[in-house]
Amino acid sequence: MHIMEGFLPVEHAVGWSVASAPFVAYGLYAVKKRIRENPEQRMLLGVAAAFTFVVSALKLPSVTGTCSHPTGTGLGAILFGPAAMAPIGMVVLLFQALLLAHGGLTTLGANIFSMAIVGPFAAAALFRLARSLKLSFAVGVFIAASMADLLTYVTTSLQLAWAFPDPAGGFVASFAKFAGIFAITQIPLAISEGLLTVVIFNALIRFNPQELKDLKLLDGSEAHA
Amino acid sequence: MLIEQSAYANRWRKASPAAKGIFALGGFCAAFAAGAPAAAVVVALLIAAATLAGAGIPSGRYLRAVTPAFFFLGISCLSLAFSLRLDDGTGELSLALTPSGMQKVAEVSARSIAALTALLFLVLTTPLTDLIALFRRLKTPEVLLEIMVLCYRMLFVLSAAVHDTLSAQSARLGYATPRLAIRSLGGLAANLTLQVWQRAHALHMAAQARNNDGPLRFLEPVFANSGRDAIIATAAGSALVALAVGWS
Repeated sequence: MHIMEGFLPVEHAVGWSVASAPFVAYGLYAVKKRIRENPEQRMLLGVAAAFTFVVSALKLPSVTGTCSHPTGTGLGAILFGPAAMAPIGMVVLLFQALLLAHGGLTTLGANIFSMAIVGPFAAAALFRLARSLKLSFAVGVFIAASMADLLTYVTTSLQLAWAFPDPAGGFVASFAKFAGIFAITQIPLAISEGLLTVVIFNALIRFNPQELKDLKLLDGSEAHA
Repeated sequence: MLIEQSAYANRWRKASPAAKGIFALGGFCAAFAAGAPAAAVVVALLIAAATLAGAGIPSGRYLRAVTPAFFFLGISCLSLAFSLRLDDGTGELSLALTPSGMQKVAEVSARSIAALTALLFLVLTTPLTDLIALFRRLKTPEVLLEIMVLCYRMLFVLSAAVHDTLSAQSARLGYATPRLAIRSLGGLAANLTLQVWQRAHALHMAAQARNNDGPLRFLEPVFANSGRDAIIATAAGSALVALAVGWS
């Protein structure tokens, strides 16, 4: 769920861009370092961005019958790391604005913050937490992917509530309204995205365990599951 | 992709991208500077007229590009229009339509629509390759540009792969039930995930074979009359801003 072009007041649009900038800058620094150590990564990130764009355009079968799309942030964060997801997510969101008129240029900063920063960092942290708690790989992936999706939409609701507080109930009432409306589509979507991501990793484990071991996502014992 | 087709085939394809960017920027400024919703609506109509009549974008295609954004606008305005109230005495939650809420809806949706028309003007008249060249001239970090160029290229390669896989899976009833659909979609995405590394490796090999020493280099497209275009765009953009600010 992207905030559309021109929806946020100018102070909020600028503020969220300023808030996102250090994350994107750090992501670029991290990416540059990775490219210097391993030149092959230069191509990988561009292809990863295209992959994220294409995955987020897939149609998910949803319980409520509405046509919905996965965010792909959880999957990307587990595969490519959260720091790299900030610049990748920025390019994906920019392309969605320029190629699909989905999202916008003035709201790019706010959308980067929710989809390319909060989502991936939450996914990576939850995935690591689940692994350290000795939860199974599939449970970790499900929690990471569905919570990344859910937290992205909570962040979007917070951004909208902050920009448009309710005249009577203020920020809290406004958040309840935005979150309530988005919950109808986003909670089933978060569950389907979590399931889809688990199915993706199951397929990868079955057919391509070596690649996952190279990414240090699996240890040796699980690779033959 | 809908917007791509117009971007490559419109009357202003050969106009300088910088000029089109300046006009769109004028549109954005006018959208935010507009004192009254009516002013923003007029700005939106003028930009849409420039896109339809000037650049010659078919109106049906324009409408189809606008529709998804209107869906978001609709549900967001719904929550702006209604005010959530907690009654202290009874503890009941109630929703009420308020005049101040309607005022806000008019203001925000007019601004959004004006900004959306400015975005659509830019993307419907300018192909992404020209925009990336413009970003390069605006000194965007090289790494970001490389991600953009590769992403744009691989987008269509991966889309074709998705399309072919979907056809093959559908032909085998892979999407007959929701359960099968999730399974098929998972298989598709897993296959695509592997292609990320395979295709990146192939690109790397191809670049190595051509003695690539690091950065990817590109020729800049040349636009005749870019000076003239920039002057016209600046004048038109300023006129929009003046109209939005001066409206009373």
